[in-house]
Amino acid sequence: MHYAFLIYEDEAFYGPNKSGPAMQEIVAKHMVFARELGARRIGGAGLKESSSATTLRRTQGKTTVHDGPFAEAKEQLGGFYIIDATDLDAAIALAKKIPVSQDGSIEIRPLLGGDVG
Amino acid sequence: MSADALDQAFRDASARITGALAARYRDLDLAEDAFAEACVRAAQVWPAEGAPADHAAWLYRAAQRCALDILRRRRTRERLQPEPPPLEPTAEDMMADDANLIPDERLRLIFVCCHPAVAADARAALTLRLICGLSVAEIARAFLVAEPTMAQRLVRAKRKIGDAGVPFEIPQPEFWPERLDAVLSTIEIAYAKAHEDAAGLGTHASYANDMLALTRVLAELLPREPDVLALAAMIRFAEARRPARLDEHGAMVPLSQQDPVRWRRPLIEEGERYLQRAANEGGDSSRVLHAAIHSVWCARRSLNDPAPWKTVLHLYDALLSVRDDSIVRLNRAVALAEVRGVAEALADVAAIDGDALVTFLPYHAVRADLLRRNGQMEAASSAYRVALALNPGPAERLWLERQAASLQH
Repeated sequence: MHYAFLIYEDEAFYGPNKSGPAMQEIVAKHMVFARELGARRIGGAGLKESSSATTLRRTQGKTTVHDGPFAEAKEQLGGFYIIDATDLDAAIALAKKIPVSQDGSIEIRPLLGGDVG
Repeated sequence: MSADALDQAFRDASARITGALAARYRDLDLAEDAFAEACVRAAQVWPAEGAPADHAAWLYRAAQRCALDILRRRRTRERLQPEPPPLEPTAEDMMADDANLIPDERLRLIFVCCHPAVAADARAALTLRLICGLSVAEIARAFLVAEPTMAQRLVRAKRKIGDAGVPFEIPQPEFWPERLDAVLSTIEIAYAKAHEDAAGLGTHASYANDMLALTRVLAELLPREPDVLALAAMIRFAEARRPARLDEHGAMVPLSQQDPVRWRRPLIEEGERYLQRAANEGGDSSRVLHAAIHSVWCARRSLNDPAPWKTVLHLYDALLSVRDDSIVRLNRAVALAEVRGVAEALADVAAIDGDALVTFLPYHAVRADLLRRNGQMEAASSAYRVALALNPGPAERLWLERQAASLQH
């Protein structure tokens, strides 16, 4: 099956524009993790900070464009992986190795259809 | 065959057959539906033609055919192209005699039902449904929710298991402690429901028996896990005391005042054997210590024997060293009051973080009792009021009201 790992952390920790030393450190760790994933990694990326987000909202057929992320929260979506794993336990075992700097959460979501095109 | 006998036969066969089918097809709904259809067929055929010698083997063969029918119907409905045909019963199945026919996949099934990815409030319900064969209506009654609510909860849980890709496997060693703990906590939660009902009337009587059966199965499947054995022991000790838990007015009787003559000895002896095995396996976890505390109480033969407070206090001290939390501290304070005096116990209770226990009824009941015995009637009275406002069950309410009323004199 294919799973998305959605990584939520307090982005303030990584400094303005996610450019502080903590960022360099975590990026290095992600590179190690990605190497370990090898062929099981289908895709993924880190995301710029949530203030760079633009949200398109469609309400009753009308589309409006807004500044900021879809939802304000203490922890923000900071990056994601798409991986291949035999089942949820295998996915959990991989997700446990995702580097996080401080407190944070990783949401594990199966992809619809279990496949990416 | 009477309706009751049929029902019992279905219930006995339920976990093994559902487990075996679910393991084969990796689909809980399919397993459950196929087993239900097999039961319907049995209810038609057995009374007319006579029940087979081996009920489970008959039901398993029928359920396998039903599973294949269901799969074919699904394919037709989804208008799928002809696919590799569904798994026919293997040659091995056809050859197997009845006794070796059904692979025992109950342990896998238990781990699926209690996977931490399943909502906590659904794990116990799903386990009771699939392992104990309880009906949705029975589980709904045990959990005090409406039947459609419980049905919904079960549907959601099964869908989550399928969608998220919960594996139908015994967990890998790296997951083992965490996952076994999830299984045992689930059983503890389920048992707490039965235990709350001190009278054990109606649905809860058989439900408590189901918990005995479930822990027996788990101990059979995992005979060397101290925590599994300790939980089987603990539930037996607790159930053994049920006949003495209420007085003639229906009020709760505290453990130290229960008449041991009324306790069920055979269950206590069974509990002792489980606990001994847990100890032999080197168990010294909080579950083993908990069971040991129960065991010390159950060793009492009559109200003339001194209450074993000193030993109980020692065990709580040991428990505190492996699991230091407010609830252990609270229970320890009860023993402390008996051994070293009420004042010391009150000081200990005062040191517990009361905020975390604001809605925990036993905290207020214990505090009220200690304050009363320390002569602080005003404070005791208000603690009883808080406890009574937290919705105790009928037996505990009667007891608390009686204690509160005794303050007036």
